[in-house]
Amino acid sequence: MADIQERPHKKRRFFVDDDQSPVRNPTLSTEASLPDEIDSAPEAQAYAADTAEDRRPETDTFDADTFRAVVGGEVPDVALRSLQGRFGTNLEQAINAYFDGSWKTPSPQKLKAPVQSGFKFPNGLKKEASNGTPQTNGTSSKAPSPPPALNFMSSKRYIGALGVAGWTTRSGSNLLKPGDVVNIERTKQQAPQKPGRGGKVRTPMRRTQDVIVRFTNAKGDEIGRLEKDNANWISTLVDQKVCSFEGYCIFAPERIRTNDTVYLQLRCFLLKQAFEASNFIKPMENNRETGIFEAKESTDERDLRLRQIALVKLFSEINLQPSKINETTARHKREGILQAAEVAEQYEQVEATQKAKKSGTPPEGSSPPSEENEEGEELEQDQLDTLYKKAQSFDFDTPVAEPAETFVMDLRKYQKQALHWMLNKETSQQDQHKEQSMHPLWEEYLWPTKDAEDKDLPAVVSQACFYINPYSGEMSLDFPVQEQSCLGGVLADEMGLGKTIEMLSLIHTHTSPEQQAAVSNGTLDSVNSLPRLPKSSSQVEAAPATTLVVAPMSLLAQWASEAQKASKEGTLKVLVYYGSEKSANLQTLCCGANATTAPNVIITSYGVVLSEFNAVAAQGGNRGSHGGLFSVDYWRIILDEAHMIKNRQSKTAKACYELAATHRWVLTGTPIVNRLEDLFSLVRFLRVEPWANFSFWKTFITAPFEKGDFVRALDVVQTVLEPLVLRRTKDMKTPDGEALVPLPPRTIDIERVQLSVPEREVYNHIFARAKRTFTANVEAGTVMKSYTTIFAQILRLRQSCCHPILTRNKAIVAEEEAAEAAVDMANGFADDMDLASLLERFEADEGEQDASKFGAHVLKQIQDEAEMECPICAEEPMEEQAVTGCWHSACKKCLLDYIEHQTAKNEVPRCFNCREPINARDVFEVVRHEEEDAEDEQGVDGSLLATSALTAAMDVDSEAGEDEDEDELYGSTQPPPKSSATPKTNQHQRISLRRVNQLSSAKITTLLTQLRRLKKTSPLTKSVVFSQFTSFLDLLGPALTSSNITFLRFDGSMAQKERARVLTEFAARPKVTVLLLSLRAGGVGLNLTCASRVFMMDPWWSFAVEAQAIDRVHRMGQAEAVKVVRFVVEGSIEEKMLKVQERKKFIASSLGMMSDEEKKMQRIEDIKELLS
Amino acid sequence: MTAPLPKRIIKETERLQSEPVPGISAQPHDDNARYFDVMVEGPGGSCYEDGEFKLELFLPDDYPMCPPRIRFLTRIYHPNIDRLGRICLDVLKNNWSPALQIRTILLSIQALLGAPNPEDPLNEAVAKQWKENQPEAIRTAREWTRLYAKKG
Repeated sequence: MADIQERPHKKRRFFVDDDQSPVRNPTLSTEASLPDEIDSAPEAQAYAADTAEDRRPETDTFDADTFRAVVGGEVPDVALRSLQGRFGTNLEQAINAYFDGSWKTPSPQKLKAPVQSGFKFPNGLKKEASNGTPQTNGTSSKAPSPPPALNFMSSKRYIGALGVAGWTTRSGSNLLKPGDVVNIERTKQQAPQKPGRGGKVRTPMRRTQDVIVRFTNAKGDEIGRLEKDNANWISTLVDQKVCSFEGYCIFAPERIRTNDTVYLQLRCFLLKQAFEASNFIKPMENNRETGIFEAKESTDERDLRLRQIALVKLFSEINLQPSKINETTARHKREGILQAAEVAEQYEQVEATQKAKKSGTPPEGSSPPSEENEEGEELEQDQLDTLYKKAQSFDFDTPVAEPAETFVMDLRKYQKQALHWMLNKETSQQDQHKEQSMHPLWEEYLWPTKDAEDKDLPAVVSQACFYINPYSGEMSLDFPVQEQSCLGGVLADEMGLGKTIEMLSLIHTHTSPEQQAAVSNGTLDSVNSLPRLPKSSSQVEAAPATTLVVAPMSLLAQWASEAQKASKEGTLKVLVYYGSEKSANLQTLCCGANATTAPNVIITSYGVVLSEFNAVAAQGGNRGSHGGLFSVDYWRIILDEAHMIKNRQSKTAKACYELAATHRWVLTGTPIVNRLEDLFSLVRFLRVEPWANFSFWKTFITAPFEKGDFVRALDVVQTVLEPLVLRRTKDMKTPDGEALVPLPPRTIDIERVQLSVPEREVYNHIFARAKRTFTANVEAGTVMKSYTTIFAQILRLRQSCCHPILTRNKAIVAEEEAAEAAVDMANGFADDMDLASLLERFEADEGEQDASKFGAHVLKQIQDEAEMECPICAEEPMEEQAVTGCWHSACKKCLLDYIEHQTAKNEVPRCFNCREPINARDVFEVVRHEEEDAEDEQGVDGSLLATSALTAAMDVDSEAGEDEDEDELYGSTQPPPKSSATPKTNQHQRISLRRVNQLSSAKITTLLTQLRRLKKTSPLTKSVVFSQFTSFLDLLGPALTSSNITFLRFDGSMAQKERARVLTEFAARPKVTVLLLSLRAGGVGLNLTCASRVFMMDPWWSFAVEAQAIDRVHRMGQAEAVKVVRFVVEGSIEEKMLKVQERKKFIASSLGMMSDEEKKMQRIEDIKELLS
Repeated sequence: MTAPLPKRIIKETERLQSEPVPGISAQPHDDNARYFDVMVEGPGGSCYEDGEFKLELFLPDDYPMCPPRIRFLTRIYHPNIDRLGRICLDVLKNNWSPALQIRTILLSIQALLGAPNPEDPLNEAVAKQWKENQPEAIRTAREWTRLYAKKG
């Protein structure tokens, strides 16, 4: 079939090079002259003046979003939502327009539809317009909906001419002679599927796409086809109904044979349809459209790309240059578009071949973008560093701003500087932007006034020029106005510098005029000036007094409490919008009329935003009906930990884009996590033009980066970042060498743990198998296939370093890593008897001795012996008293050592005291329970209770002994204080016996030893214990209890209220000294400065994750030196993981994110090392 | 170098000095705290009465997991003590327990002097004599005590 698409090889050519063709259009150079005569047309002047008049009152009150939204109303559903979502404060006329429906149907009668009055009309421009200056003549709006200007346009308009070569598909005499008119056609005789737009089904192999452009004679018979290089783009323009072409034969042989070359002149006309936005496929990343209804993106994106290329090619062929172009945009070469498109093409091909390999994969474009699916290349660490370096060039002489009086916290100097910067971003930019007129993405072109033969073309009143957005492919006859730009930014101060506080100071300091009015008058003036709007359920209500904070769930409580702490009482109303609080109707709560009572800060989670987004989408985009987050236009919106939306394709990100607010801020310590696209998503949320247009972004950042032009790409990113980002780091020094935030020192020690013999056996067993699996797969070349299996085994290996028992529970594995891993694991481990028997030993030792076995006298004896000297080591009192089954006491270690000593000599262990044979299992630890009240009141070494009270309590307690709960074998008190006794012994104590779990994990034992030592030396010091395995936390809990250490636990499975309670309690109660935290739940955001010790129970692949966890404790507000202990099992995979960490191999990506083969290949290398 | 002396040994040594057992003394060497010069008096009423027997006692590294090593330096005629002074006593062998101490071991040895056990002999010749002609054996023991273990 190839011969149909490709011109056959020519046997003989008259003209070697088409460029030297004599028929190259001689008229082209004259095309771009200015059509001056049109501009003085009185109608045009009148029209311009008229419209300007109309708009004047709105000039200062309308923001661009509204303008955009209103204009974007052509597609009713989308536009409706867009309109509602972006309504600002003074929207009288726009709303009227909306309700009288005039904007819906673009008819000539509605030429001066009130909707137009909503447009922002820059001052300078207005003046020009009334003077009838050519460039701005006529209109001030741009395109998506059919603007009035369109009505002046005829169905097509001449744009230029070009010469092309074609080849004939027929032979014969007098088929074609110079001067003949030929039709330029796109017929699709071959293709069963329409390759054009509109419900098109693409064949998977795109390279065979039909681009054939035929030319036919007057009778409609095909004479030949255009050469492919021109056909490529001409076909697109025809298919997408951008242009039509008229052809004239310039040269043709008299007697034509198949495959002869003929030369044609093509006259090109832009179709009216092209200017009707509805006729265009919405480009994927077009901010003018709400994302709720974003269609199959890749198809659209592809069409957009084709159109971009086609338009650029067309304009270069007809030599039409823009008459006006934005400075920013002009700085970047327009060729970038073509480059980007090329890159996309290559990409696509690779992708297509990959897809083709996988059978059963749905064709590209039909699969919804998943949250995991990330794009773009990862940045190397040094590239990231370079990027940040520039953003971090913080000027220490930046002026400071004082927060409002209602803000009661003391700000450090750099925080006041941040406030100043933020105030600046929110206010002063408004004025700057009025000077800019044309939207930066758009280019202005003048309609040619002469045609190819240099004849005058009919001028169209008031239409001297047209506009093209080469990045979105949109075309317009109306002037595209620079939209109001982002009135916010990225606050990217490093974690611990107090981003929350800085933001709260801004919330206090910069309030909306409406709120100020409400506060000073008690009523809202602007409400009176604003006619009561007809209440519609689908309407978005302005919330001029409200700032919305979106944060990860674990931080909601913290935001709420910080907001309260930072505010003078009663000056800030905070609403945590989560769970049951969601029943509140935010429209009612926050509307302008209620500005005095409206919550000033609404705090919610990304999860809530997402679920409400889905709800709104399910209701066809009716924002208002829900009364939820999307029904309100906030004064300000803040995304905390904004890297949550770094993937622009994720639903969470899309949901956040749709939230409406005047000021938009993102807070993140890492604006770029590992891809440049991470930053795009933030920019898009902030609506920073022109960068919020993905096509633009791709053209100037992604494409050069992927082509290896790092310098250029990163340079551009820096120019994006610089005005937008404020970033300071903790280690920044002021010019006089002082740290920005003096933090107490932090030390990190690695505690190397020795596995016990039975643990080691389990470990070795799993290690051997993991290695076998790996080696076998390497030999068989199936490493990639069994990737998950291998990783599952490595996971087990890591778990066995914590506690062998962890490896047994398959459910745990499922919880910790991907579910697929668990499946493999289940298969691989099900029949594993060896391991089972190894693990058996770890199971038996759980549970406690039945209380009935003990007589009261035995426990009395145990109590009495507690203060005595250890019969074995002579320590007095004995350390960690333990008893044999025959109730003889010694230090736990001495006792166990002796049993081991005898066992080693192949003797039956016997009691050191009575020589009764004893079982190693039957050794019990004596656990003392200090009375809670006593401790909380007195601290650990609390002073003496009154003797009488003690005695009384003792009596009661010993009688109640039988009824103690299971854990308590016996309740008693110490004998009445002897004169020589230490105060400690006077405490009212109960004891219980717990089997010594000899086969416990070495890590747990080490941790307990450290915690006990800490408790002795500084009883009030709090510790945070991190593990990535929540199942390990499950084991740590009971171990802490048995050591009489009170702890709390915080993990991802907890409800928000519970989390808040845990955090408050941990900070507030002196008795609670340990917080067990899952690395994932607690890695981000939390403030745990009440603790000063950190125990990392297991290493993560990247130290950065651990460091982040450590920074929960070592952050601003920490007053004490922080000691960190990282547990690493000696001679294990954990040690090797540390090496991998050091090499920074895993720095940018964690295992959870692995999605494609390439990354896996890299990891294979690491696995090799881990298993060496 | 030698490890620091365990607390237990220090305590035992101190107590041997501060609360001495009548008829028994144990002095550690200045240069080796694990090595003791021991003196045990023959128990009254036994054939070793009025004798002062010197012993040497050494606490091995794994003491108290292992029993002390101890032997008579003074010659003694006893069925459970051989020519080299080695002692056959259960608590020094299988019946050792870490709960026992130097003091209790020496008391056991003193008790052994008072109650020879020819049924579990270490010195076969002496045991044989003890069983076949006990008065003669006792006489020999007294004689040896007078000869070798004279006080002063």
